[in-house]
Amino acid sequence: MIDRHETLAARIEERFDEQATRVASSCGELTIEVGKDDLLAVAMALRNEPEFGFEMLMDVCGIDYLHYGATEWTTSSATETGFSRGVEEKPVILDEADEFDARRFAIVYHLLSLRHNTRLRMRVFTGTGNPPVIRSVVDIWNSANWFEREAFDLYGVLFEGHPDLRRILTDYGFIGHPFRKDFPLIGNVEVSYDADKGRVAYQPVSIEPRTLVPRVIRDDNRYDEQLRNTGNE
Amino acid sequence: MGLADTTAAQAPAEDAVVAGESLQEKGFVVTSVDAVMNWARTGSLWPMTFGLACCAIEMMQAGASRYDLDRFGIIFRPSPRQSDCMIVAGTLTNKMAPALRKVYDQMAEPRWVVSMGSCANGGGYYHYSYAVVRGCDRIVPVDVYVPGCPPTAEALIYGLMQLQNKIRRTSTIAR
Repeated sequence: MIDRHETLAARIEERFDEQATRVASSCGELTIEVGKDDLLAVAMALRNEPEFGFEMLMDVCGIDYLHYGATEWTTSSATETGFSRGVEEKPVILDEADEFDARRFAIVYHLLSLRHNTRLRMRVFTGTGNPPVIRSVVDIWNSANWFEREAFDLYGVLFEGHPDLRRILTDYGFIGHPFRKDFPLIGNVEVSYDADKGRVAYQPVSIEPRTLVPRVIRDDNRYDEQLRNTGNE
Repeated sequence: MGLADTTAAQAPAEDAVVAGESLQEKGFVVTSVDAVMNWARTGSLWPMTFGLACCAIEMMQAGASRYDLDRFGIIFRPSPRQSDCMIVAGTLTNKMAPALRKVYDQMAEPRWVVSMGSCANGGGYYHYSYAVVRGCDRIVPVDVYVPGCPPTAEALIYGLMQLQNKIRRTSTIAR
């Protein structure tokens, strides 16, 4: 199993050189990182060239690395105010940033080669552009159509060249992209029936964000620096 | 005269005996139109099949042979045009809300709504979600709320019996 992945990794390194860099991975899974501009060339080669033969695209998904690696909540005492992710005092106006961190949004492609019985994960960062834009792979793998719509809906990443890029999961008057880490959990709008208009209408959200009061674990060794360091060696 | 009037709702069994005697002695029964209409409505309460989530599984249980809603004359209909009642069984999402309202609007009067389960009652587990309506009473007027997550089939049947009681108390012909 591992050997097969190492063989594939060697082939990819030989074929793509600078275009694809291998990401440290575990559990016998192979992940490569591809530059935004090289995406179509690499994807086309991975599908067409017989030594790769990745003819199936299993999944396309987005990632928001906004709070990645940040410690969620460290304390050793009880709280009166509680905490919660997704709680903002006032509604977040989305897309207010001029440009995003270059390593904030990524799109991940899960590929399967039936010919060689191998899988490959390909990660592409969308860069600093606001809104994030990336080339669509619908012309290479047709199954990307709905996956890319989903990633657009939930993360607001635009796919250049997609034939029908519109929301797929959220409702028709929805504002924002709910899987972004700065999206408030309660959302921006809610619906109710408007008797005057005779239809279901949108209005600003009326409830307060919920604040969680967590169970406090004192002397939590997960955050102990010394123990963490010894465990990793 | 006056064998069975509007008090039929309060003591149906007693009145039935009186009505039975009248039927044997004289060959006819006298009652009010209201009582007959309410008897007909409670005895054939046809709900719209409107399962949204896991509550619908319990609704199916109530409809299947063990609990057998058919005993009450409750027969699920596939069309809102033939339905008297809508059981909102499950999480009502923002995307589904216009469809729910449309189905409700298509139902003929008189119509009733049973809100089944925590999600339909007030959002329940998804109350703080960005995609869920915080109670189906924001979209349609609700007659009976059945609590539970999900409510058992017995609870749903109890809720429907409460709805029958409510229907019996209404008087269609104003006097």
